[in-house]
Amino acid sequence: MASLGFYLLLSAFVVCAYAVAASVAGARRRSRPLVDSGIGAFYLVAAIMTAASAIIIYAFVSGDYTIRYVARYSDSVQPLFYKITSYWGGLDGSIMFWVFLLSIFGSAAVYVNRERHRELIPYVVTVISVVQMFFLFLMIIHNNPFQTYLTESPADGEGLNPLLQNFYMVIHPPTMYTGFVGLTIPFAFGMAALITGYLDDSWLRAVRRWTMISWLFLSVGLGLGMIWAYEELGWGGYWGWDPVENAGLLPWFTATAFLHSVMVQERRGMLRVWNVTLVILTFFLTIFGTFMTRSGIVQSVHAFGEDPELARLFTIFMVSILTVSFGFVMYRLPLLRARNELDSWASREAAFLANNWILLFSAFFVLFATMFPTLSEAVTGERLTVGPPFFNKWMLPIGLTLLLLTGIGPLLAWRRSTLTNLRDQFLVPVVSAAAVSGTLVALGVRVWTSGICFALCGFVVGTIGQEFWRGARVRQQATGTDVFTALVGLVARNKRRYGGYIVHVGIVLLFLGFAGEGFKLDEQVLLKPGQQTQVGDFVVRLDAVRVTDDGQKQMITGHTTIFRDDQEIGRMFPAKWFFRKHESEPTTEVAIRRSFAEDIYLVMPAFNLEEQSASMQIVVNPLVNWVWLGFGVMALGTLIALLPETVFAFALARVPAGAVTTSLLLVSLVLWPAAVIAQSSQSVSPEQRGALERQLEGEILCTCGCRRPLNDCGMFNCQGHATQTAKLRQFLTEGKNHDEVIAAFIGDFGSEAVLAAPVDRGFNRLAWLFPYLAALVALVVVVVTARRWSSRPMAVAGADSGIDPALSARLDDELRNLD
Amino acid sequence: MSHKAVKVGLTGLVLATAFGVLLYSTLGESAQYYKYVDEVMAQPDAWYGKPLQVHGYARDIRRKRDSLDYSFEIHREGHVLRASYTGIVPDTFQNDSEVVLQGTLSPDGFHATGMTAKCPSKYEPQIGSAAGPTSTGTN
Repeated sequence: MASLGFYLLLSAFVVCAYAVAASVAGARRRSRPLVDSGIGAFYLVAAIMTAASAIIIYAFVSGDYTIRYVARYSDSVQPLFYKITSYWGGLDGSIMFWVFLLSIFGSAAVYVNRERHRELIPYVVTVISVVQMFFLFLMIIHNNPFQTYLTESPADGEGLNPLLQNFYMVIHPPTMYTGFVGLTIPFAFGMAALITGYLDDSWLRAVRRWTMISWLFLSVGLGLGMIWAYEELGWGGYWGWDPVENAGLLPWFTATAFLHSVMVQERRGMLRVWNVTLVILTFFLTIFGTFMTRSGIVQSVHAFGEDPELARLFTIFMVSILTVSFGFVMYRLPLLRARNELDSWASREAAFLANNWILLFSAFFVLFATMFPTLSEAVTGERLTVGPPFFNKWMLPIGLTLLLLTGIGPLLAWRRSTLTNLRDQFLVPVVSAAAVSGTLVALGVRVWTSGICFALCGFVVGTIGQEFWRGARVRQQATGTDVFTALVGLVARNKRRYGGYIVHVGIVLLFLGFAGEGFKLDEQVLLKPGQQTQVGDFVVRLDAVRVTDDGQKQMITGHTTIFRDDQEIGRMFPAKWFFRKHESEPTTEVAIRRSFAEDIYLVMPAFNLEEQSASMQIVVNPLVNWVWLGFGVMALGTLIALLPETVFAFALARVPAGAVTTSLLLVSLVLWPAAVIAQSSQSVSPEQRGALERQLEGEILCTCGCRRPLNDCGMFNCQGHATQTAKLRQFLTEGKNHDEVIAAFIGDFGSEAVLAAPVDRGFNRLAWLFPYLAALVALVVVVVTARRWSSRPMAVAGADSGIDPALSARLDDELRNLD
Repeated sequence: MSHKAVKVGLTGLVLATAFGVLLYSTLGESAQYYKYVDEVMAQPDAWYGKPLQVHGYARDIRRKRDSLDYSFEIHREGHVLRASYTGIVPDTFQNDSEVVLQGTLSPDGFHATGMTAKCPSKYEPQIGSAAGPTSTGTN
């Protein structure tokens, strides 16, 4: 099995090499068959990589521990789900997963664009294949995931690190990879345009969507990483400027810059060199990020493998990328000359330019600060480090400036804004910002950076609101529909623009959450049972430290009660779990009490069972949930920008009949979540209740310490039994259904230790996954419809002119020869 | 053309200088020397009062009763440094574990204000994963 896998990788390498050779030769000789065979080979690589992935997944599932990688990252007791996802649990598998995703993405991009950008396709295939060859080469000579033990192989694997056995850690890496890998596509098209010299704006149209899709994945990936850090690592924050985090942020900056500056090129024919440069830089940074975190070049206290061989290979690859791509940029400079010049600084293109500079500077700064220890050592021989405060000191003003530009950009006209339209445009946002500032002053908000941030949020919201309002009014007058239909129609007519504004709303929410950091409270105390401590408005009292065991792990749980204004508001259960085989690496189970105003975040990093004492870290995190919400809104906005127009067809009709449908749709959209909630909380009839009660008694543990379910507690006159049963009855009387009762018990107890059979750790958080799942489904819809959508104009053109594709291909070729 | 080039060049120069100066001055405040125990202890008085990160192995960890005051030694290649820390320590902070302390050195030992423990053997962050464990305290 392992050797078959390895041979598949070898053959993928060979096929890639063929795809490169055939495509280049085909493009140079203008031989359609050769180019087609190159494309065929390219698709074949995707098939081979799928087969290889299937083999490694099979090896994981069947527990083939003769393969080192399988033995290292899984074991027989691991749930099936984590066995499958162990595929990308380590470096070797990640590289393979990377190539797999790239081959799939690349094939999709080539398939969609094969007719429309026929002249570019051979080189797109070439560039992507070369990138694939690099990673395949890495696997073949250095990081072979199919490597077997030369001598005796272990009977069981070592198991995936408990920290990674977490739902977010399962979906975060693939999301991130998809974002990274997707950014290869714009690069490939950019390079193809540079190589062929077809540097009109058509290549941009091809890559805009792909950049947006990758950007979406990258953003969601970053968000998931933050949630994981917040919920699992237990230090009270979600972003620590770690090299690994920064690696994901770098291409995000440049991709964001590109998505903005591309508009300037489309509208005004400016920034053409700049856009090509951004595409190259973004791709380069995805590779550099991998290099930075993997090769040991940036020394971090985390166990990054130091691997000089890997560093050397990556360096060669990165230097080649830069030399070749910027070599082509130089060579094509005459073709990249701007068609226009900047007319005025009070113009939208100037705002975009400023936005680009700042984003690029952010990328540069983060790169510099991340690499600073390495750089300082190289230059002075002394290793100097900089911590998160240094990053924050710089990124705070940078972020606020970007936020300000988010508000200003849409208010400026293309080319030049006159004084009158400046006044006309800025009035509402400025008033909105002033209102927010006034309220803050009245409320006595002290933290001034956060205050500025809130005011700027008000400004941006003012801008966006005004844009939507004015657009909808104009459309309403033109089409004579109701305001909702006009609004939807407006978004449908300019999906990118208004989708973009929704993304900006997401950004505002993010910043709202960031501003909350200014009011964060963090307290570390040692508590004994009965002792309490005050943090802000909250008082935390430790009641007890208890030990439980569920067979898979031992759980030490701190039982605490939280008070606010002398009122008990709830109980929280921070814990430490010691998994079998990983006793020296206990996981910290954070207890979080969420609300939109603030989270109370409780960690119990250390405990003493004899003294019954626990050291507690108590963090009050204001507004933090708005960050997650912001990511959701950003994803939503991007999806709207990506949706094909047909989706909105119902709102584009001029007839007032459409008004009814739209309003109905809106109403149903608003009501739908409510309906879902109502459905899930349907009250239970008395007959059902008896059966349900019996079922739950078998699922919920008695708390007397007998470690048996309620219906099996043998203790006489058991107090724990009585309280648990009373609680169960109460929940059932309240009309809660099965899942809600379980949830309520977990909520009350603080962990799943209260259940006879623990819910699989990852899956019980599916609720949080829902928006992302929805996004994924929507994405599939996007891809499918986008394909149909993109192929339609071709078909229409063919039908209209009656020219068959072969003839038009020849015509195209002949015309090209005229140049 | 040349006039424009001069303007662009000058703007670029001014901006670059401004950022350079800013970067340099903020770096001066924020940068910490990163040293191994043996490097520091070779000439300890040179490091008194300087912002410092010391990398070494912990041993002889003691905690004052009913408090979060820790006192321990960190060592590497025969050199030993006495250190103190108040606050919550990472899970992996145990005898013989690898730690990096942030703080300042004085004649009576190293006073740590932050601590990062190296994660044991098997933690391998993902390629491009956004969130590795962070160095701000407990992980």
